[in-house]
Amino acid sequence: MKTDAENSNEVRSAATVKLPTTLPEILRKREALKKELQQQENLLPVRIAMLGGSTTSELRKMLELFLLADGIQPAFYESGYNRYRDDVLFESPELWEFKPDIVFFHTTWRNVSQFPELLEDEARVEQRVEAEMARFTGVWEKVQSELGALILQNNFDLPNLRLLGNLEAVQSFGRVNFLMRLNAEFAHYARSHSHLLISDIHYLAAEMGLDNWAGSHYWYNFHMAISPAATLALARNLAGMVQAVYGRSRKCLVLDLDNTLWGGVIGDDGVQNLLLGRDHPLGEAYLDFQHYVKDLKRRGILLAVCSKNEAENAREGFLHPDSILKLDDFSAFKANWNAKPENIREIAAELNIGLDSMVFVDDNPAERALVSDQLPEVAVPDIGADVAGYAKAIDRERYFELTKLVADDLSRSDFYSSNATRAAAEASFADYGEFLSSLDMSAEIGPFMPVYLERITQLINKTNQFNLTTRRYTSAEVQSMAGDPGWVTLYGRLADCFGDNGLVSVIAGRVEDKILEVDLWLMSCRVFKREMEFAMFDALVERCQALGIHKIVGVFVPSKKNAIVSGFYASLGFQSAGSKDNGETRWEYAVPQCYTPKNRYILRSASALMAVANA
Amino acid sequence: MTRSEFLLEMDDILGLPGGTLQGNEKLDELQNWDSTSLISLISLAETNNGVSLPLQGVVDCSTVGDLLRLAQVDDEAVASV
Repeated sequence: MKTDAENSNEVRSAATVKLPTTLPEILRKREALKKELQQQENLLPVRIAMLGGSTTSELRKMLELFLLADGIQPAFYESGYNRYRDDVLFESPELWEFKPDIVFFHTTWRNVSQFPELLEDEARVEQRVEAEMARFTGVWEKVQSELGALILQNNFDLPNLRLLGNLEAVQSFGRVNFLMRLNAEFAHYARSHSHLLISDIHYLAAEMGLDNWAGSHYWYNFHMAISPAATLALARNLAGMVQAVYGRSRKCLVLDLDNTLWGGVIGDDGVQNLLLGRDHPLGEAYLDFQHYVKDLKRRGILLAVCSKNEAENAREGFLHPDSILKLDDFSAFKANWNAKPENIREIAAELNIGLDSMVFVDDNPAERALVSDQLPEVAVPDIGADVAGYAKAIDRERYFELTKLVADDLSRSDFYSSNATRAAAEASFADYGEFLSSLDMSAEIGPFMPVYLERITQLINKTNQFNLTTRRYTSAEVQSMAGDPGWVTLYGRLADCFGDNGLVSVIAGRVEDKILEVDLWLMSCRVFKREMEFAMFDALVERCQALGIHKIVGVFVPSKKNAIVSGFYASLGFQSAGSKDNGETRWEYAVPQCYTPKNRYILRSASALMAVANA
Repeated sequence: MTRSEFLLEMDDILGLPGGTLQGNEKLDELQNWDSTSLISLISLAETNNGVSLPLQGVVDCSTVGDLLRLAQVDDEAVASV
């Protein structure tokens, strides 16, 4: 069986085209780049409605380029000028027919309908806040209920003039204070509505400075609320969010050691002479970079080392008293004299992740160029030669963007360390069944629950191998499946004596006339060969029996990565019911009155939640 | 920047082979010319070459020649700001 790493080379022939990094180069090469990027295979089509409170034409072109570079083929709807509310409230036929997956509201501080009057009391200002919120929530709710699309909404940037000087930020009638109140309200709404995500232009504007963010000539000539440079930053920001929405954010940071994680070359200088620590400017900068990397690990990004060093020397670096990073922070460790692309391939295979999940960071431009050239799916940011800029160079690219932080994310690194222990245990058993038995596996299987929606969406969009149909859905669509009585949904969590694998499998299907057609069946490669698919099938059959469903229909849609499940339905005892020229096969299973469970090794826990769900 | 440099920038923005534009074309008859082309051109002129197109007149340009005149680029090189 090919690994995820090997397979991903066939699928994403994508990123052989790297985007230029400066605005002038992007503007010059945009048309040519777009043509080249559109030749890529396996682009994921996404329909985006851009509803503008100002001119959106330049932003559309920038966003298109960034999305194509990320392997996404966008189709756009653009509202008429400043018709972001009207197009929704008056149900523009073109917008409604367009059926967007994502609706993006390109609004800025200029779209606030009313600012407070000078010296208005706080109660009156609060009313204005509520009125402005109502203008927005009215539109958001209509998009949700009638279009079912995910919403990306800009929060508010700041004007670059302060009538009241520093009082603007303090008095409730000050414009700055009012905009910050609205931003707090937007954030509050987003926290409680998972189908709406905030595009933080307040931060983007601060990052580049208000004078660079808003270009006055661009406003007067074209009614562009933001300058071309700002448009570039916003397009990059939005592309990162779209990647996150489809579960395609990257998962693993691969790091060089010498002059990347510490100052100096450990093989030559020895651990005691490394620059690391607060008593030296460079040392402090390396320390802060280690803090950044550690923080990434804490929020679920896997760390790996890829260094040209004797393994012993490399490990010793982490014994430095000021080292924030420790050996056990790393899920993979390659220190040898082999070429780095080879090492990175091995890391991908070890961790069973795709090359397109990885980011490689190295201070040496020659190493960066080699990896970039031989492994185009790996992201290789130009971190420059100055350690003080490394973190920003990584952060700016939005590789690890999230739509939500879930508990499973925080323990991802732990899973990978416990996997090494599992592998060692497996090697010690002669009989595979005995090994499975020894794992003391338990599974929690039930219908989709709100608390798991983000992780379920992530799995649906990221899983390639054990995936019967490779259909992709946004979180808004998954949420509507969960609430639809015409759908049967199942998630599966698996734990064993070495640790919790988290939520690893998803099944969803439509029911009509007492026949269930399976639309989605996928399972994370984390839990291959544990018979979890049998536990899921047992649960599915039980649900069908309870609902009086007499037949289950399964469809296998071949992709470049899912050949391993081409015979899956046959192995469960389904009968072949035809095939198409494109390789699609159809299978049927008559739900028996008396069913013998196939799962032999996994204890199905009847949690209180499940009992309620099955009632 | 010189006249020919400016024209080459325009060729790039429009995705045309370098040397296509001669300077007498009507803007709305140019292949690939749309509302964003002017924005890109102004942005390139400003960030790269310090050429600032005056507020008045940009949206009134209807030919490539108009743009060249507005940007004050000539056959001889103009010193960048």
